[in-house]
Amino acid sequence: MITLGIETATQVVSVALGGDDGILGIVEIISGRRHAEILTPAIEFVCRHARIAVADIGAIGVDVGPGLFTGMRVGIASAKAMAQALHVPLVGVCSLDLLAHPMRHSPKVIASVIDARKGEVFYAFYLSSTDGVRRVSHPRACSIDDFNADVLARGQDVLAVGDGAHRYRDELEHSIEIADLMHPSAGPLVQLARTQALRGDTVEQSDCGQLGAGSANPDAVQPMYLRAPDAQINWTTR
Amino acid sequence: MSTTSKSVVVDESTVVLGIETSCDETAASVVMGGSDVLSSIVSTSIEQHIPFGGVVPEIASRAHVELLTPVIALAIEESGVADTRIDAVAATVGPGLIGALLVGVATAKALALVWDVPFVGVNHLEAHLYAGLLEDPSLELPLVVLLVSGGHTMLVEMRGYGEYRLLGETIDDAAGEAFDKVARYLGLGYPGGPAIDREAQYGDPEAISFPRAIPDSPDFSFSGLKTAVMNHVRKHPDVVTADVAASFQMAVVDTLVAKARRAAREVGAKGLALGGGVAANSLLRERWLMACDEDGIRAFVPSRAMCTDNAAMIAAAGWHRLRSDGPTPLDAGAYPGLRLPLVREGTP
Ligand SMILES: [Zn+2]
Repeated sequence: MITLGIETATQVVSVALGGDDGILGIVEIISGRRHAEILTPAIEFVCRHARIAVADIGAIGVDVGPGLFTGMRVGIASAKAMAQALHVPLVGVCSLDLLAHPMRHSPKVIASVIDARKGEVFYAFYLSSTDGVRRVSHPRACSIDDFNADVLARGQDVLAVGDGAHRYRDELEHSIEIADLMHPSAGPLVQLARTQALRGDTVEQSDCGQLGAGSANPDAVQPMYLRAPDAQINWTTR
Repeated sequence: MSTTSKSVVVDESTVVLGIETSCDETAASVVMGGSDVLSSIVSTSIEQHIPFGGVVPEIASRAHVELLTPVIALAIEESGVADTRIDAVAATVGPGLIGALLVGVATAKALALVWDVPFVGVNHLEAHLYAGLLEDPSLELPLVVLLVSGGHTMLVEMRGYGEYRLLGETIDDAAGEAFDKVARYLGLGYPGGPAIDREAQYGDPEAISFPRAIPDSPDFSFSGLKTAVMNHVRKHPDVVTADVAASFQMAVVDTLVAKARRAAREVGAKGLALGGGVAANSLLRERWLMACDEDGIRAFVPSRAMCTDNAAMIAAAGWHRLRSDGPTPLDAGAYPGLRLPLVREGTP
């Protein structure tokens, strides 16, 4: 089965195609805010050069965030439209899970940290497990101070990964080790989504209680914002 | 990287799926041959914006992601055509809210890629101009169109498909904006257009004589009128709200009709068409028909469904654009400040 992975939750647009024997092609562009301009041509490019007809895609995986709201929406809207038109399952995967996955061999607690702007980060903690990583805290959005306090409260060695860890590296607890990886990639996304799709998982991704839980129904896959729109925040706190 | 979407022969049997997400309406429509509306589905998130007294961009964008795929599925189902019959996908690329526009653009390009058909980026303002011709194909050009909504107030001469000349526009607030602000001031709620329309039914439009702005110019201005309303209410706290609403509405409608009428006379238009959300105002519709009747000119007043943002007009404008310019490249984005493509002043 051919699986398409779409990743637009951070500054990167990443598109990958996976087959039965692994990754067939992958394109990654640092896009800034040009996700919508780059994504469709990138999908077309990967398919054409991997010699895969778009019509042969059998499952789609998409990063549902948390991350840049506008970027996430471009990826999710595209993925939903493609899944609907191709009549194939759509699997939503959490951006923090995708960042933690390549760190799965670390003995430390893994902290996936994505820049949430406004001096905040989105993060969750992970431990390595038999088939990858296991999320051990709920994804949340909060200040760097709160993140540091959460790390100290764990009392364990922490390996942080993601653009949030890089951007705020000078403000992080000194004990935290920072891995090079900045952005989630469509590579691991394809692997996770493929496993989910083959298992026929139809778990709601929105509860975010499980690694890469997905849904076969495109309408059920929704962005994970972790933050109310500003207007609503201002409304409820005024 | 190939960024060109596929080209196609455009004729009466060409089926276009239109997508509209520039503001708070999530809409999809299937139109054949640029004028035969096979389906038109509009879903709005307006209820979610009411507490804030205006459209909140982030809330609108979130609603589009949730609603757009089911709305498209319904539009295709109701059209009775198989998705394999869709020859092109058109979407609004601007003007509008950037985050909201991007949901529609990304969706349209993804569908075009899967179906291997052209993508067409549509100018939302141009689509409003086509709304008239879509409902009444017998309208003849040149046509003068008054486009009045929450975001725009412009008077445009439509000489041919894609040939527009700007005759006048607002120098401050859009007409719909003035309705919203005055309604909020009078405590009538949001959205202001329907609220004032309703309240005005119980008031006397002659009760207060509000100023008609810049009578000798083709341009509009509503901020002075808004201030006049506020000053009047401040000076006369016992004034009947319905009278204020009715007199304000009369001042707006008078100005809109007078300028449109004069413009039509000056360019020798064959018809005078109304478009945009404010075109749903009952007094404006009534006065528009009266004025055209007096002047012996064809009038077009859109159905209420065609006044508000919809995707049928996007599909229709997309059909014309595809025929005249061909497909839009797949690396197109959204253009929140997009203007109407105008012919230069003095071009015959
Ligand atoms: Zn509009």
